[in-house]
Amino acid sequence: MGWFSSSSKQDTSAPTREDRQKCWETRDAYFACLDRVGVVKAGEEGNACSKEKKQYEGNCAKSWIDYFNQRRVIAEAQKERLARANEQNQAARK
Amino acid sequence: MLSLARCSLSSSLRVRQIPSTAAWRSLHTPPRPFFQRGTISGPQQPKDLLRSLFKTQRRTYAQFTERNSVGAFTPTAAALFVVTGVGLAFYFRYEKARLEEEREKERAQKSYGRPSVGGPFQLTTHDGKPFTEKDLLGKWSLVYFGFTNCPDICPAELDKITAALGKLREDLGCTFPGESQHGDIFLPVFISVDPARDTPSQITQYLKDFHPSFIGLVGDYAATKSVCKAYRVYFSTPPNADPKGDYLVDHSIFVYLMDPNGQFMDAFGQAITADEVVDKVNEALENWQKQTGKKV
Repeated sequence: MGWFSSSSKQDTSAPTREDRQKCWETRDAYFACLDRVGVVKAGEEGNACSKEKKQYEGNCAKSWIDYFNQRRVIAEAQKERLARANEQNQAARK
Repeated sequence: MLSLARCSLSSSLRVRQIPSTAAWRSLHTPPRPFFQRGTISGPQQPKDLLRSLFKTQRRTYAQFTERNSVGAFTPTAAALFVVTGVGLAFYFRYEKARLEEEREKERAQKSYGRPSVGGPFQLTTHDGKPFTEKDLLGKWSLVYFGFTNCPDICPAELDKITAALGKLREDLGCTFPGESQHGDIFLPVFISVDPARDTPSQITQYLKDFHPSFIGLVGDYAATKSVCKAYRVYFSTPPNADPKGDYLVDHSIFVYLMDPNGQFMDAFGQAITADEVVDKVNEALENWQKQTGKKV
């Protein structure tokens, strides 16, 4: 199953645990690169992470990539909101 | 009257017999001088007045307090008081415990507010057999809705169920993944919310990564919609989804615990860990065993 699914991402066979693992690893590597260059929204980094991006796109389905990229933006916004809420909490306690 | 008889007779005159109610009343009010009393108590005067003058002792306030200290509070009375008090205390405590127990029993038996989750459905298992809600009976089932192309949440939830099942079966003395000494009382169920792409064979492949006792279920779009409605599950697949398409399905991600009667027991969200699932299932199992005397 492994060689079968990894050879073509667009077939309808279910991804295996290995497939998922590989996709998550390349995603994490790509996002780490984005963090290094200070970019939140994928695609705005120019050519800075092209190697990681290629790996990422080679191991994850497009729908997954869209989903992970979107979630990264949401998670960053959430982090900011949480930080602001904490600050306000601290200020209110004083 | 006992108290009156015990009165000390220091003078030559005798104690006038007064009714007990009067005696009690006199405890609280200082005695009036004799003549004043005589003028009030009508029937006694005037002939009786003279006779009682010789019979009656004029009691002073001091004598009354003395009588009170030895009279009303005798050892017998004190003992009676204590015994009654202790008895009442025990009685009330017993009654309170009994009522509480009764209320608790009532509460346990009442299945008020049980959410209406679950219901009839007709689907096909991953190995091509028909499967309805009746096939859930006689086992504790953990029902999860998802799709095989799910990027991260579904596999994480299925891993959680797998881990919880391993622990639960171990607790029951089974040698994972073999059969347990109690028989296999758990049934993990994966219901696809992506009927366009999730074929039985694809689900078979997908479930190989999770607990071997998993049963995968799939149906056509109408059957999927119907089972999702019964379990109050939202899913976003359109009816005309492309079987070759690359899309994600948005869906509710609760794990439902159903009892051996096929009734909803609990729902576990994403934030609940495998260990918490184990605890909650064990708790439900214990309650069930207490009520029915059996495990399934």
